[in-house]
Amino acid sequence: MTSAAQALPSQRSVSEDINTLTVVANGEVFGLPIQMVQTIFRISSLSPVPLGPPDVAGLVNLRGKIVTAVSLRRRLKMDNDVVEPNALAIGIEHKGEYFCLVVDSVGEVLSLDEGKRIPIPPHFDPERLRLTTEFYRAGTVLIPVLDVNALFEFGR
Amino acid sequence: MDELLRDFIVETNQHLEEAATQLVLFERNPTDASLIAKIFRLVHTIKGTCSFLGLMRLQHIAHAAETMIGELRNGAAPTQTSVTVVLAAIDRIKQIVEAVEATGIEPEGDDADMITQLDAQAEMLAASLRGEVVSDAPVAAPAPAVEAVVEAPQAAPAAATVPEVVATPPSAPTVKAPPANAAKTAGGANARNSETIRVAVDAIERMMQLVSELVLTRNQLLELTRHRQDDAVKSPLQRLSSLTTDLQDAVMRARMQPVERLYANLPRLVRELATECGKKIDLVTEGADTELDRQLIEILRDPLTHMIRNSADHGLESPAERAAAGKPEAGEIRVSASHEAGQITITIADDGRGLDVEKIKKKLVSNGAATEQELGKLSEDEIFKFIFAPGFSTAKQVTNVSGRGVGMDVVRSNIESIGGSISMQSKLGRGTKFSMRIPLTLAIAPALIVEASGLRFALPQHAVVEAVGVGQNSGHVIDKVQNALVLRLREEVVPVIDMSQVLGLDQSARQSGEQLVVIMRVGGESFGVIVDKVADVQEVVVKPLSASLAHLKVFTGHTILGDGSVVLILDPGGLAMSIGIEKSGDKKREVKKDNLGADKMRLVLFRAGPGVVKVLPVSLIARIEMVEPGRIEHADGRLTMIHQDRLMPLVPVGSTSFDPTRSYPVLVITDGDLTVGLLVDEIVDIIEETLDVQLSSGGYETIGAAVVRGQAVEFIDVTSYLQSVSSSVTRQPARDTGRRQVLLVHNDAFAREFLAPMLSSAGYRVMAAASAKEALQVIDQGSHVDAVVTSTDLAEMTGNELASAVRRTPSAREVPVIGLVGTDDTHDEADSDTLTLRVQAGDRQSLLAGLSAAFKAMQRAEKRSASKSKNEAAA
Repeated sequence: MTSAAQALPSQRSVSEDINTLTVVANGEVFGLPIQMVQTIFRISSLSPVPLGPPDVAGLVNLRGKIVTAVSLRRRLKMDNDVVEPNALAIGIEHKGEYFCLVVDSVGEVLSLDEGKRIPIPPHFDPERLRLTTEFYRAGTVLIPVLDVNALFEFGR
Repeated sequence: MDELLRDFIVETNQHLEEAATQLVLFERNPTDASLIAKIFRLVHTIKGTCSFLGLMRLQHIAHAAETMIGELRNGAAPTQTSVTVVLAAIDRIKQIVEAVEATGIEPEGDDADMITQLDAQAEMLAASLRGEVVSDAPVAAPAPAVEAVVEAPQAAPAAATVPEVVATPPSAPTVKAPPANAAKTAGGANARNSETIRVAVDAIERMMQLVSELVLTRNQLLELTRHRQDDAVKSPLQRLSSLTTDLQDAVMRARMQPVERLYANLPRLVRELATECGKKIDLVTEGADTELDRQLIEILRDPLTHMIRNSADHGLESPAERAAAGKPEAGEIRVSASHEAGQITITIADDGRGLDVEKIKKKLVSNGAATEQELGKLSEDEIFKFIFAPGFSTAKQVTNVSGRGVGMDVVRSNIESIGGSISMQSKLGRGTKFSMRIPLTLAIAPALIVEASGLRFALPQHAVVEAVGVGQNSGHVIDKVQNALVLRLREEVVPVIDMSQVLGLDQSARQSGEQLVVIMRVGGESFGVIVDKVADVQEVVVKPLSASLAHLKVFTGHTILGDGSVVLILDPGGLAMSIGIEKSGDKKREVKKDNLGADKMRLVLFRAGPGVVKVLPVSLIARIEMVEPGRIEHADGRLTMIHQDRLMPLVPVGSTSFDPTRSYPVLVITDGDLTVGLLVDEIVDIIEETLDVQLSSGGYETIGAAVVRGQAVEFIDVTSYLQSVSSSVTRQPARDTGRRQVLLVHNDAFAREFLAPMLSSAGYRVMAAASAKEALQVIDQGSHVDAVVTSTDLAEMTGNELASAVRRTPSAREVPVIGLVGTDDTHDEADSDTLTLRVQAGDRQSLLAGLSAAFKAMQRAEKRSASKSKNEAAA
């Protein structure tokens, strides 16, 4: 959707392998570009933001930094996830702001090469496609790679 | 950029600032050799560093300046001109340094003009030292006209060759610091120079962050060990805890800088202002060592400059005026800073002419900001507040310095944006004083930690006035008037919002029971916020909201509390806006206008059913009777009682539920043949007050809500009750009158008190005027009037004359005027009558019938003209 998002795939095609961290939300597997991931932590307490964007679960204190927590389930319109204490979150810095993506669980780091990239199937939900950059085959599963830029841009 | 170069820029800027201050001090006190020695050293250092770095332009100017100042150091007497030239040279150096800072290289340019001036000055000073120019004044020296130097630098050398001898400088601005203070300032600056190192702001910010994390870790540790009785751990932990607090304090202090930095430019500013305005000004600065957060110092610079400009330009009088008023010729501007209870107070006081209240009033009336009647009710201090309104200026003419009326509102909003406040005091002929109260630092602010529906938020304390408990056990009650919440607090009625509602919180988590209302004040308006409780008062470290949340206007930032949890900081201004406080200011003013000339009347306050206290004017009530249980009877679904041998219908007011076992007060209302008793729960009070109906209601049985003695009350509509008991009444129903505005003119206060409620109970809105003059004023001011009811024998004019006068105003040309004829009025009916109608003063029925007929006629005329214009349009 943004020019930055469109620029990403072409940049990556230069490098051989793309390392992604797999995360799970509501049973589905997604990939996150590993270079974006700064830390993985458990949320000890969360302060909701009244009147804020609905996908923002709240604010988290991560070692003295205030981090905006975004629920991946809510973002992907899976369900109206209530983020429980002790939830797993992935710290990501985006445009100088600290965010964290709340997920169900974290899998392994996969090395995805250009050969496994597949064209985006045309009948996929456009709402979700907005948040993904590309699709890869990894063994038997299809892994959509999340677009970090789109994830943390809230239409205002 | 080269690191050496960067250091040079920072250092040079500091030196320049210092040199300028010292120079002005020196001009005031030319015998102080230590001052000039210091200035010389400063310029010398600049010159040295410039040559080292190869900045040739700077080096040349500094060299010329050094030579000239050298002459001063050798004992030459400084003149107005020599100081001006040196200041100009320093300005030039500053410009070049700024350019170097921006581009990294010295800009192209020619400074020959500046250097020639400096050289000429040096030559002259040297000559005066040699005694070549003889002058009869001790501090006199050959000086070219100041204008020639400032405005036409290229002409200066020529002027300098034809020096004219002046006995005294054109105007003598002086800068005075109390001797002890001056010494301290100078000494302090020295001491600091020898013991300071320069640290990047980033480094300090990083330290702040680390300390914050340390505090959090400490708190977690304390929480963990709280329940253990292990002394081996306890005492080192105690120590760690107190050290952490000290460290936090120390790092905070590292961000602090003395107010002196803010003062540094002032002597020069005042000197220039004095020349520009042709006044003599003494500047006194106090409390230079008061410390303030560096960020705040930068924010305060502009407002302070603005206020000093104001003081110099319209605060202080010209020397002649001052002499005439018996004051010393030189005016004084005193700037002082002090530390009080966690806040810094900075005052700017002048001993000038002070503010003229009458002049401000005139200005306000002429630009339509307020009417004379409104202003009459305000105290002096309240009127002074208008100078903080946008676009206000009393200056007779716009000068270079100030008077454009852009200003004090900006100053106020600047100060308020950093959580400060500004106030003003003034005495005519004695001077004006502005006081700014500013928090010590922006980074840390005391805040109330409040809870609403299970969530915690921080409310900045600077906006909080007080917190009051509401509920059954406390004296304060929140009323719901027309779906809006208000709190009666002493003599005030404060609009109230529910925080849980404003923030859209899930209220199921809410604990019932006692609640608190936090009273806040924003820009002069008070409002209350309902919270569940105040959990704590803490110093919070304010962090701005991230960009993705910055659009939320009710929050200004977030912070981490001592226990490590994140809370959002509420923005008092945003909260005020969420209930439209900004707007309500205008609305109130409008309503006031409509109620001009409202007189005090006797009112009965009573309770009837749930809800707020109700009110009726005494004049509408024939009598109040206490009725014992047995006297009230049910007859075909209605309540009745025997009253003066007749059967009187009783109507419960509001939803007063009738209990046949208790006694009730009954308000007896009579209108012509019709009598009705209003059954109420209890009479609260009978008082004399202005009835100011503020919110007109569309509801049945009430005319509107009003504020009486700080209480919200409902003004009930008697006509609706009269109608409810008698379908035979052929009265114009209240709502059909479309709330016409009637202007009641009568010299007699008793008559007004009697007639006004009668008219308003018939559904009209009433304005009362005590004289023909007042009435015409109301119409002139553009208040809308549908009809005029006047006595025919006013003190100033007859009813006929008033009618003609009223109709002279274009908007009131068609207005019906009804005359109330006294019994001894000997008016001859045959006279050409401009009055629409005459009725006998005591005849209420005829008056009401007359009014309603007049309005009907008006309606018909309107319809006719409407259809006529429609026909014309069709044709």
